[in-house]
Amino acid sequence: MKVFRRLLAFLAPYRGGVIVSFVLAALAMVTGVLIPFLIGRAIDAVRVADATGLWPFALAIVAAGVLRLGFSAARRLVAGRVSLGVEYDLRNMMYRHLQSLELAYFDSQQTGQLMSRATVDLQAVRFFLGYGLIFIAQALIAIAVSAAVMLAVNPGLAAVALAPMPFVLWAAARYGRLNRPASQEVQQRIAELTADAEENVSGVRVVKAFAQEARQLTRFTATVQRVFVQSMVSTRLRAYYNPLIGFLPNLSLGLILLVGGRQAVAGTITIGQFVAFYGYVLMLTAPIRTLGIALGMAQRAVASGTRVFEVLDREPRLSSRAGAPPLPAGEGRVELKRVTFAYESAEPVLRDVDLDVAAGSTIALVGGTGSGKTTLVTLLARLYDPTAGRVLIDGSDVRDVALDSLRGEIAFVSDDSFLFSATVRENIAYARPEATLDEVERAAGRAGIHDFFSGLSDGYDTLVGERGLTLSGGQRQRIAIARAILKQPRILILDDATSSVDASTEAEIKRALGEVMRGRTTFVIAHRLSTISLADEIVVLEAGRIAAQGSHDQLLERSELYREIAEKGLPDQVFLTRKELEAEAAGL
Amino acid sequence: MSAQDSNGRAPGRLRSLWRIVRGEDRRARKLRGLFELLGPYRGRVILMFVTLLVAVAASLAPPYLAGRAVDDGIRAGNPDALTVIVVVFVAAAILNWGASYAQTYLVNWVGQRALQDLRLRIFRHLQRLSIGFYSRNRAGVLISRMTNDVQALDQLVTDGVATLFASTLTLIGTAAILLFMDVELALITFLVFPLLAVGSVAFRIASAGAYRATREKIALVTAYLQETLAGVRVVRAFAQEPRHERRFAELNDEHRAVNMRTVHLNAAYFPAVELLSAVATAAILIYGGRQVLAGDGVTLGVLVAFVFYLQSFFDPIQQLSQLYTTYQAGMAALDKVFDLLDEEPDVVERPGARELPPVRGELRFEDVWFSYAGEPEPAGANGAGPDDETGWALRDIDLVVPPGQTVALVGSTGAGKSTLVKLVARFYDPTRGRMLVDGHDLREVTERSLRSQLGVVPQEGFLFSGTIGENIAFGRAGATPEDVEAAARAVGADEFILRLPEGYDSAVGERGGHLSAGQRQLVAFARAAIADPRVLILDEATSNVDVHTESRIEHGLRRLLAGRTAIVIAHRLSTIRGAGRIVVLDHGAIVEQGTHEELLDAGAAYAALYRDWADQAAA
Repeated sequence: MKVFRRLLAFLAPYRGGVIVSFVLAALAMVTGVLIPFLIGRAIDAVRVADATGLWPFALAIVAAGVLRLGFSAARRLVAGRVSLGVEYDLRNMMYRHLQSLELAYFDSQQTGQLMSRATVDLQAVRFFLGYGLIFIAQALIAIAVSAAVMLAVNPGLAAVALAPMPFVLWAAARYGRLNRPASQEVQQRIAELTADAEENVSGVRVVKAFAQEARQLTRFTATVQRVFVQSMVSTRLRAYYNPLIGFLPNLSLGLILLVGGRQAVAGTITIGQFVAFYGYVLMLTAPIRTLGIALGMAQRAVASGTRVFEVLDREPRLSSRAGAPPLPAGEGRVELKRVTFAYESAEPVLRDVDLDVAAGSTIALVGGTGSGKTTLVTLLARLYDPTAGRVLIDGSDVRDVALDSLRGEIAFVSDDSFLFSATVRENIAYARPEATLDEVERAAGRAGIHDFFSGLSDGYDTLVGERGLTLSGGQRQRIAIARAILKQPRILILDDATSSVDASTEAEIKRALGEVMRGRTTFVIAHRLSTISLADEIVVLEAGRIAAQGSHDQLLERSELYREIAEKGLPDQVFLTRKELEAEAAGL
Repeated sequence: MSAQDSNGRAPGRLRSLWRIVRGEDRRARKLRGLFELLGPYRGRVILMFVTLLVAVAASLAPPYLAGRAVDDGIRAGNPDALTVIVVVFVAAAILNWGASYAQTYLVNWVGQRALQDLRLRIFRHLQRLSIGFYSRNRAGVLISRMTNDVQALDQLVTDGVATLFASTLTLIGTAAILLFMDVELALITFLVFPLLAVGSVAFRIASAGAYRATREKIALVTAYLQETLAGVRVVRAFAQEPRHERRFAELNDEHRAVNMRTVHLNAAYFPAVELLSAVATAAILIYGGRQVLAGDGVTLGVLVAFVFYLQSFFDPIQQLSQLYTTYQAGMAALDKVFDLLDEEPDVVERPGARELPPVRGELRFEDVWFSYAGEPEPAGANGAGPDDETGWALRDIDLVVPPGQTVALVGSTGAGKSTLVKLVARFYDPTRGRMLVDGHDLREVTERSLRSQLGVVPQEGFLFSGTIGENIAFGRAGATPEDVEAAARAVGADEFILRLPEGYDSAVGERGGHLSAGQRQLVAFARAAIADPRVLILDEATSNVDVHTESRIEHGLRRLLAGRTAIVIAHRLSTIRGAGRIVVLDHGAIVEQGTHEELLDAGAAYAALYRDWADQAAA
């Protein structure tokens, strides 16, 4: 109920529209109820052989029809505007909220889960608020108005005619309640089917290579059969309840024929009244049916609303204080003081890390998977807050300054840089959308990728990302470098995690990196000697602690781990591939 | 100017009309294909139509019976006749209920069954298609053929067919009853038809456009949301939230604006239909009323029945017009599904292909040329000869791998390494030349018998959802748990598996999500080991693993390769050094082969590659 009230609160900005649409719905219903009444009067005029009396009623029917047209059209326009407005608000609110949440939240959530809340659940909520609520109101008004008219004309017959109606409502609500879990299960099994299909398509090479087609087909057949069985559960419910819901109003009509007919034979009511009653019941059937459906929508909306609120109620845990000052100017000195960090409630990834990096120097972070290299650099941009200890940039605790000013001074360059489905220009100018094309081109030039893009037919307007041109790792990395060059950050963070570029690209990237590193504090998460060689100082991390620190030669002497990494771990990762052009030049 | 315009347009319209007609023709074939799916369930389909007929007939009875109640019961002052009519009335209602139940059940049963068959048919067809097809088509598209598109057909087959027949029969039935009761009144009622039909069609066409636009906009909104969720790290790192919020709000607003058009259309159409019904009722009352009074054979009961029929006369027309949308969506899906089913596999098993007997594992490439596009254009077409060096992924490969030898393939991206191994697995056939195993041309043997003697370790260790044990057992049908453990031990994967809380029963998430890249590799090794193949194809992973896992992988790999013929796309120097022979590929041709030492001494391509690496490492 609490969820329900909170859902209704979304309508608050549209109070006026909601009221107007309710009033219009009521007016449309009243004019609608007039029509069976007028039909009854017309029939009576025929019965008493009053040919001239027929015309006024017929014209009144047309007039009532015209009025109803006006009211319902206006109602649909007003209600539609409200419903689309609510939808717009809900979606924007959800999006803004997601944007306000810290990165740690997204680590703990599957993207698919969030997507389904932001689409499927949001849809259930907006259907109910946008349409369901108006359906309910409309149906209630229709039932109230026609019941009132019937009771006023002939209470006894009205009672008989209305008797089966509560059962319609009951059946519709019961159907909704039973069918929802059944159809959710169908959806679940279709999701399994999709997963199964996905796996077989993605893993087709393995299936074929091991000649396991028959086994996979058996598995898929079972999955398909499960969908069928559950669909039939849902179908049986539908096959039973839908005609039942249609049957009950027919029962009402039968009762009118029986009781009303006898009254008409006895002369207590006129044939016209009898016909009008029949018409009222016909009019009632549709609203009652929609009432049942709308009640089902309400149930679904509450369930979905609960899930939507789970997201909306999650307070952002990482934000700068209101009115926090921007990061003061500085040269880029970075200090970590006794920093410990753990994701959620897991084991700490960093323990008691103390590090002081002089402005303008380059630090290489080296260590095995899970040693805490990546975590360390994400703390600088305050993508996460340390569990204990402090991170200082030019003497200011990162928690005390405005987030956007902090992040505005730090740039990440990674070789699997995420590209948005936008133009090359927009991707390069991501941090500074107002940058001119000239600036973008110059940044790309310094990153060594201008020639490639200017050679494309659409140049910098070429679409990249998921729906655009596919770029290689090296190209994506250079876009990230251009992004960083354009941003002019105080601190640069470089990750060459999964790189597998060929030698000449490697050289170009190194040159480009040299450009952007000049005069900036730089952190390099290094996986190969060539990048380690860029650094002034090397920090070896092991299980979240700084195991050793110093220059390459010092570490070779002092750190066994570093020796192992330097001698064995890294060189074998270098791939024996070369850019074809260069191979040709070499006479291959 | 305008005359020219209309002159120019008329033949264009004719042509497009002709195209539509021809398009419909192709469609007809596909529709036939769809309805052929119902073939096995013919009995149930017929029963479904019978129940549908009964249900429609029963649903048409009430207004007629109400009219009879007025005439035979009330006007005649005969309560007994009234009781009989009510009994028939209720009986008709019950019949409608029962028949509707049977009809709904049957239509869904048959529809779901047929679509299940279709899904399996698509699945089997996909299994038959060659690897080349999979590299040309995106996985997401193929998956949606089996899921979304079949779902859209479900709408067409179950709802669509039922609505089409039920509404048409209701319309015809009502018209027949009206004509039977009174021809003149019936004809007057039918006057509104053209108006309604034209209005409905116009509305449907307009709203189909509006709905499509709405769907397109919402797809943009969803895609944008998806993208910023996927790229959330970048968004946060660059503090660009406000910009994304603005852009999202813009898209959201565009969607709202487009959607408003559907609201306008609905607001115009549905109330107008209601008005039409009121006008028709008034007309019938006036005209029919006069006839009743004139004693022209129209009774009061007939008039009443007419008025009641009019209340629901328009429903079937509305439903039929709604069908247009279902039809369009269904047909689009039908096109896609049947286009897929029409795809022919590139590699087909020759009729009468022989079983490949157990092999020793000698691989022989005889003068092999390969092009993904098939045989290039012959000479003369553009002046290029058949031996023109463009377009070939492999050129003139002559290579013999004796049983038990490990060959490491080395070369830059696009040199033809993966293409070469794909020919061994017969994912493709050579365009020219022959590929032989123990002297058997691969084209002469059955795919099954070839692949059962072949092991493949794909680059990133693709695993299926299920347990680790199941994934290892995948390599050989009927493998026992003991076999699985033995295989894992053989490649040294048992160490990490046994440390997992559930050991071999540990679930592997989506694409092996819970395992590290190195662990996935080890499981893939075990899977290949259990198959105990004579010939092994291995695409070495390029992802980074830590030092310890690295040495375990090296070790596992050595155990796996021992005693088998193996072709390895090598990325690790340790693998290359350990290989019996190194083959250097460039531009699809073998430029050099030999052992590591031999090739270094030769001082050519391999030596250059090696120096390059050394420079890189020392830089």
